[in-house]
Amino acid sequence: MDSLPERIASGRGPLSVVRFLGLVLLGAIVGAVAALLAVAFVSAVLALNDLLLISPRSRMMFDHPGLLLAATIAVPALGGLVVGLLHLRIPERRPHTPADVIAAVQTRHGRLPARAGGLSALTALVSLGSGASVGQYGPLVHLGATLGSQVARLLRLGRSDDNITIACGVAAAIATAFNAPLAGIVFAHEVVLRHYALRAFAPVAAAALVGYVIATNVLDRGALFHVADTAVPLPWEFVAFLAIGGLGALVAGAYMHTILGVTRLAGSLPIAAPLRPALAGALLGLTALWIPDILGMGQETLRFATIAGAFGSAELLLVLVLKIAATGLCLGMGFSGGVFSPALVIGTLFGALCGSLVGQLSGAPQETFVFYAVCGMVAVTSPVIGAPLTSLLIVFELTGSYALTTAALASVTLASPIAAQLFGRSLFDIQLERRGLDLSAGRGRAVLRTTPVADYLSEDCVTLHPQTPVAEAVTTLCRARHGEGYLVDDQGRYRGCVSLADLEAARESASGPARVGEVATLARPVVQPDTSLWDAMAKLQDVTGEALPVVDPAAEDAFRGVVFESSITRAYLAHGDEMRREEHGTG
Amino acid sequence: MARDKHKWRLACVLWLGMFPGVHGQADDGVLSILSWGGAYERAQQAALFAPYTNATGISIEVAQYDGGLEDLRRAVAEDEVPWDLIDMTRSEAMVACAEGLLQPLSPTLLAPAPDGTPPEQDFVPDAFGRCAITHSIFATVVAYRRDAFPGTRPDGIEDLFDQQRFPGPRALQRTPAVNLEWALLSYRVPHEELYGLLSTRRGLDLALERLDDLENIHWWEAGDTPPRLLSEGKVVMASGYNGRFFDAMVNRGVPIEILWDGQVQEHETWAIPRGAPHPETARDFLRFATTTERLADLARHIPYGPARRSAAVRVTTHPDSGVDMRLHIPTHPLNAERALTKDEAWYAQSLGRIQEYFQAWLEAREAQ
Repeated sequence: MDSLPERIASGRGPLSVVRFLGLVLLGAIVGAVAALLAVAFVSAVLALNDLLLISPRSRMMFDHPGLLLAATIAVPALGGLVVGLLHLRIPERRPHTPADVIAAVQTRHGRLPARAGGLSALTALVSLGSGASVGQYGPLVHLGATLGSQVARLLRLGRSDDNITIACGVAAAIATAFNAPLAGIVFAHEVVLRHYALRAFAPVAAAALVGYVIATNVLDRGALFHVADTAVPLPWEFVAFLAIGGLGALVAGAYMHTILGVTRLAGSLPIAAPLRPALAGALLGLTALWIPDILGMGQETLRFATIAGAFGSAELLLVLVLKIAATGLCLGMGFSGGVFSPALVIGTLFGALCGSLVGQLSGAPQETFVFYAVCGMVAVTSPVIGAPLTSLLIVFELTGSYALTTAALASVTLASPIAAQLFGRSLFDIQLERRGLDLSAGRGRAVLRTTPVADYLSEDCVTLHPQTPVAEAVTTLCRARHGEGYLVDDQGRYRGCVSLADLEAARESASGPARVGEVATLARPVVQPDTSLWDAMAKLQDVTGEALPVVDPAAEDAFRGVVFESSITRAYLAHGDEMRREEHGTG
Repeated sequence: MARDKHKWRLACVLWLGMFPGVHGQADDGVLSILSWGGAYERAQQAALFAPYTNATGISIEVAQYDGGLEDLRRAVAEDEVPWDLIDMTRSEAMVACAEGLLQPLSPTLLAPAPDGTPPEQDFVPDAFGRCAITHSIFATVVAYRRDAFPGTRPDGIEDLFDQQRFPGPRALQRTPAVNLEWALLSYRVPHEELYGLLSTRRGLDLALERLDDLENIHWWEAGDTPPRLLSEGKVVMASGYNGRFFDAMVNRGVPIEILWDGQVQEHETWAIPRGAPHPETARDFLRFATTTERLADLARHIPYGPARRSAAVRVTTHPDSGVDMRLHIPTHPLNAERALTKDEAWYAQSLGRIQEYFQAWLEAREAQ
């Protein structure tokens, strides 16, 4: 193993500059491909929505009321069936989401599989196209990340570079979809990488920039918000924005727990898994006959929510609740898609509700209505995706309005910490925690917790049969230059650990035990092959000795070998060192 | 409008009466064209009809209409189509084409540009429909009396609905088209999303709510009404076709100004009705009337954007007043900055339902 200063020194020099520039170029290429994929995905969703009578425009242009009614129910139901059947072909039987991207990057394990990634994108396309109440940004992020990971695999890059190309794909997807390059860069850092390193920044920025350029030239879409130039909120309104932040955290919690709750419930439903999304689709379509706003991504609803007077207060509340329920239903029952777009709609409806209530109470003219809508939007979205800075930047880049960004800042200031305290860092983190990956203490612990000790297993140890005479055991240990021996019986089971010192004492004492099996064993914790490095490290705290025996309970306590204390410590330091270089290195 | 319609219907009847055996005959030296009348027809007369008669000896009869397909439907159903060529808006041409009222047209009949550029590259995008070929792009705009608002002037389409800052009666066309667009644009929704939003009940309601807030609306139907209402001082702001306003402004010195913000651009097309008496002559005229030279000349007489790029760069001054016409055509970059292109496919499919909804609102408003 190299010593630390040596490795750091090797990161400087002309060759590493070239290598680094290559990585930046690679980021730009990944960004370009991810952006084109994102553009194609978004266009395909729009085309499907027109074709399948989901978009209001196509519904208005369709002149057969009876057929339209039938299509409203049949399209999401059939879409759900297709999605359900396609998910059977993914090993985990569920679509991959940004949570999987975060897990891959944070644990520095496992690339993102191409097949599951492609299938997830396809099912997301079908879900969105057939009007399920899900988001499009999650699938775009995952698609970009999968692309980045595949490129890294193709070029046989190391883990750190793999993480960077993944982040490049993510940044380009966001930059393209929102037409917001800064938000793309910050999102990749805030949600996926979770550290800031200059080494990652440049490739990610290049990717986002390329994505943005492609978006402005290919995608022709209106900005998410428009603001009257003259309106500036009064000082007391910032108090309202703060309050919206606090309450928005609760709305975000309700939203996240609806999704998680339905997911849990769906598992216990007596319906075959591929049929669940179909059922959800039919229910969604049926409700949409009454309230069409819940269908699809809800771009029209989002727009109307920013217009004062487009909804009544009671109507806002109704659509808000139904949208949460519809999204929970769709995602929980197995549709594939993101959580961000519905959160945008829910948050904006919530903000609009607060705005109209404030308007009614204060009697003030509603020139600042859009401020409330936007505050509600960031208050709900930023806890859900765990990205307060990204939410702010999206507002800033889409509106170019400093006043609006400041108001959003007031809202997010309370929303993010309150939601993090009450629920967790983000919906992704909660989902990962339920799958057994706890990221709450950061990447260091996550990496160690997902590295099994089996990776450091050694068979370079002395095993002794319990019937071995003590004198013979002493000789064996001395020849092998080991201080400890492990008792293994005829069936290969682990029986305990004896020290050379104890064996010597037994040999010297006349009345002492003659066989190794009779010598007192040491109190030595055992580990299992899948015990994590983190837990092994914890066990070492109470041990003074050479190594921990590895015992496999799956094979009747069979003795597999040992993990030396020194290799655990070395692995611990190596992981820390690797991460330090990734997070603080420049080249 | 009713009176106008009767006028041309009468003209047609008289004209048909004069040539009892005209139906089904070809090349008897007459071409019948249905067009919009007024300044528009005068411009067509000068730039297209007279030169065509000079060049070919074929005389041109012109009948006038205010749009609408009822008469064409009736004429086709009775197999007595009196016109060879109709000047129609693209949205009506799309509907008429779908109903089988028009003959298919091929862009191959068009002449190349003087420098040899083929028509496919010379015409603006989407100029060729299945049964109609775009020749000009006109705009529905808002015009206001220059003397109505001392010290200030409207600069955005939302000002049309702001009767506090810009008090006075308005004149609007008695159709949902354009009015709904402007009403929703006044909420500052982006152009790209406009028709999606108008496709929802909520969007329609919002738009009509905005219209409902206007006091004192004069509803117009014939294109020459809004300039007249403005010049008579009966209204201070009116919607209308940019060509008519230009005519009032330049030729008659009416003190009005055009508000280009939110202008709704539409394609004006030539179409040949099914059962036209002289389809061959009609196609010959169509080729003549869409040459670069004729289109550029037409735009000198009436400020409509030529559908050919080669023609747009050749537009010069108004023949009588010497006004530089390029600044008055809707497609000029200065004017087109916040232009909206009418979603004609949307209208072709949903006009009936929108119309019904608009009519119900109008009746409820007038009942009050």
